[in-house]
Amino acid sequence: MTSHDELLDNVAAYALGVLSPAEAIEVRAHLQTCEACRAEYEALRPAVTAVAYSAESCADPSTGAVASPLLKARIMKQVRAEAERKPAPASWPAYALAAACVAVALISTFANFSLRNQLRSAQAMIGTQQQQNSRQAQQNARQARQNAEQSQTIADLTASNASRYRFGNGEVLAHGPRLYLAMRALPAPPPGKVYQAWTLPKGSKKMAPSLTFRPSAGGVTVIRLPESALGVTAVAVSVEPEGGSKQPTSTPIAVTQL
Amino acid sequence: MDRVRARDAGAFERLYDEYHRLVYGLAVRVLADPAGAEDVTQAVFLKLWTNPELFRGGNFAGWLARVARNRAVDVLRSRAVRSESDLPEALPADDALEDTAFARLDAERVRAALAQLPDEQRSLIELGFFGGITQEQISRQTGLPLGTVKTRMRTGLRRLRSALEDAVTV
Repeated sequence: MTSHDELLDNVAAYALGVLSPAEAIEVRAHLQTCEACRAEYEALRPAVTAVAYSAESCADPSTGAVASPLLKARIMKQVRAEAERKPAPASWPAYALAAACVAVALISTFANFSLRNQLRSAQAMIGTQQQQNSRQAQQNARQARQNAEQSQTIADLTASNASRYRFGNGEVLAHGPRLYLAMRALPAPPPGKVYQAWTLPKGSKKMAPSLTFRPSAGGVTVIRLPESALGVTAVAVSVEPEGGSKQPTSTPIAVTQL
Repeated sequence: MDRVRARDAGAFERLYDEYHRLVYGLAVRVLADPAGAEDVTQAVFLKLWTNPELFRGGNFAGWLARVARNRAVDVLRSRAVRSESDLPEALPADDALEDTAFARLDAERVRAALAQLPDEQRSLIELGFFGGITQEQISRQTGLPLGTVKTRMRTGLRRLRSALEDAVTV
């Protein structure tokens, strides 16, 4: 366990963004409970913002690099095209498309449609299937629940107002109380090992064990964590012995603050 | 920002005009590559357009600068042949803290304040912030003990804050 003085020593480095993920998560958790360190952070953070301001490029091209006017044209072309379409389209991060495909595969097998078409078809199929379920409610209650969960998952993963946090080669996504872990290109764990998710409960300094998992054959992992996003301040994943651990036994491969 | 949330392209254009030099300048400083910096600028502004709710209030320029720095460091990360543990954690950009002390400072004024710092402090702060490396790597690169690196960064940031406060109140 890192001592208070060591944590205080790391506050400036945290503000400057030069801590490793593991150190950063420790300082971040500590800041929530230690007033002295919080005061230090609040004093130093504006100075870091100022360092960022110092890099602002000049308006005059003769005194430094300036962005090309073509850049603005490219950006505004896309913005105006999208402004004409309402409502605002949901963003489609690559993992969400991959996740949608995983959900689709659970229902049926599709030919080579585009990913987006697969998602639309999946949503239509879920709707159709839910109607059938309503006619045979009792027999199909379990199926309906699964479909509802899949619909919920797809809706959450593609929601434009979901909070997304960079997480290794993927994202942690929070939509309301629901918390998802979505990772791409995750190698299979070594023999006898699994991946384990960890969450940092609000007000706690200790990571709590969550689910263990293995990526699919394609390296895609989309899991919903049982913890409420509203009660969690950080998420991490580490490689652990089969069956999971009570506390991390290896350096996390990914961590993020919510 | 309210008008950007309401999908007002004209409001977004004014936001771009006001802030693109900050985003682009930061990206150039981190990447040392104008083409890569334009890609980062485009990605940051389009993300802002697509997900304006990511900004939750407070100091917009400071928030945008953090997002831009993190994005540029991400690009460095994807280019670098380094292990995950050698890469720094992103700056907290979604912190609810409103550091409105320096809501918008003129870059020249900050550069002048930075220039007042002893070289040994300024160079470590800039290496860390724009270099996208951890304090351990700074220590290895400079040959300075880790404790010295921490102390100089901390002292430098404190001095910078004081210098800017003096400049603001003059």
